[in-house]
Amino acid sequence: MRLLPLFIIVAAWQAASSAGWLPKALLPSFWEVASALGALVSSGEIFRHTASSFARAGAGFAIAVIGGIALGIVMARVKAVQRAVEPVLLLIYPVPKPALIPLFMIWLGIGDVSKVTVIALACLLPVVVASFNGARSVDDVLLWSARARGTSEHRLLWRVVLPAALPQIAAGVRTAIAIAIIVLVSSEFISAETGLGYLIFSYGGVGADDAMLAVVIWLGALGYLLDRLYLAGLRRAMSWHAFAH
Amino acid sequence: MPDAYLELRAVAMQYGSGAQAVAALQAIDLAIEEREFVTIVGPSGCGKSTLLYLVGGFLRPTAGTLGLRGRPITGPGPDRGIVFQRYSLFPWLTVRGNIGYGLDEKAVPRRERDRIVDEHVRLVHLEGFEERYPRELSGGMQQRVALAQTLACQPDILLMDEPFGALDAQTRRILQDEVRRIWQRDRRTVLFVTHDVEEAVALGTRIVVMSARPGRVKQIFTRGFDVAVGDEFEANPAFTDLKLRIWRSVKEEVDAVRA
Repeated sequence: MRLLPLFIIVAAWQAASSAGWLPKALLPSFWEVASALGALVSSGEIFRHTASSFARAGAGFAIAVIGGIALGIVMARVKAVQRAVEPVLLLIYPVPKPALIPLFMIWLGIGDVSKVTVIALACLLPVVVASFNGARSVDDVLLWSARARGTSEHRLLWRVVLPAALPQIAAGVRTAIAIAIIVLVSSEFISAETGLGYLIFSYGGVGADDAMLAVVIWLGALGYLLDRLYLAGLRRAMSWHAFAH
Repeated sequence: MPDAYLELRAVAMQYGSGAQAVAALQAIDLAIEEREFVTIVGPSGCGKSTLLYLVGGFLRPTAGTLGLRGRPITGPGPDRGIVFQRYSLFPWLTVRGNIGYGLDEKAVPRRERDRIVDEHVRLVHLEGFEERYPRELSGGMQQRVALAQTLACQPDILLMDEPFGALDAQTRRILQDEVRRIWQRDRRTVLFVTHDVEEAVALGTRIVVMSARPGRVKQIFTRGFDVAVGDEFEANPAFTDLKLRIWRSVKEEVDAVRA
């Protein structure tokens, strides 16, 4: 039932192609795209590229999550750190991160390091902001309660601030998952020899629109699946919290 | 003069500074003996919670000194347990985890910890709810957990900040009885803040009435009779009389704010 709108779009797309309203030069039919995807899957080629893409995105994402949580919480608790870091973050925030890729390639080479770095930077921001807000909005009553039960000032961070901020951090991490995929593909458009972004770019370049779209759909499906898995894992791991979604 | 168990001398508290400064408390002198149950009652905004937070060490007084067992209070510590009005449980810990929190912080050995936690689960009648999270409990049950969590730390003094203020009348009455039962059992020193005069008389062996802001100690009443667990104290003329006298004292302050 939830897939019904999707089904209608696909049916309309295929119908428009079959009726000749949608020229192949504009958009290949759904059937052609699906066949291209089938070929990519049965040859196993798409899995190879998926693996190298996920290694890059995963590395950048992991760095961003660990660094972002630490930075956001320290910013919320140490005024000096907040003053130092906040202007830099505000400046980086509106910059489209893929636009930094050429610069990073000059600094870090055209290999995986520059790609992972730009993914990490892009994912870092939502995690830092969520961790910062989460840590800052911890109720005084909880902090006081912990202090009156023997928690020292510096242990508060670990014992109270981090767990209390987790629901907000979890939302920031979810945003970071989507951003990781977006920036991953952009980074692989430029100077990559593997990866889903590379596949899209090279199929697009030779006019193989059906295969190009097949990879796009594959990516979309993977992103959706990741998000679902993440939410399901979260509900399990954080059953103490009433999630709104 | 020997120090009292808990002693407040010339305590004053001011929030903010300059033109925005608000004097919350002024010239508070108060001495509380060991095993006393002292209730503090006053109009809202009189600074009675602030007074409790100063004893808790969460706030620093603008002037004056506070001492417990002869030692000055300089910050929060497990010798002073506190029960807040609400939302003080750790949402990510179960009932067991919350009650055992202070014991974990003291690194009490596992077996000893579990024994103390079980004992306190029984004390507040929460058997069967040990593995629940706070959000799965009613307001009254959450306050039972908060009470057990505080008692499990074995504090010298129990601070209670309108702990039943957010509960319905029946639940409040039941929990008051629980607190009375626990106090009569282990005679721990209690400082209990409330805006409810009946609650103040039903629980306190001494009742401190505070003035409107800036809060001062206006009058101290001593309850000359006992209230037993399950007592229908409404039927006791001495109770009604004391309650009325205290209410009049509080009402003067409420009117003073209105005028």
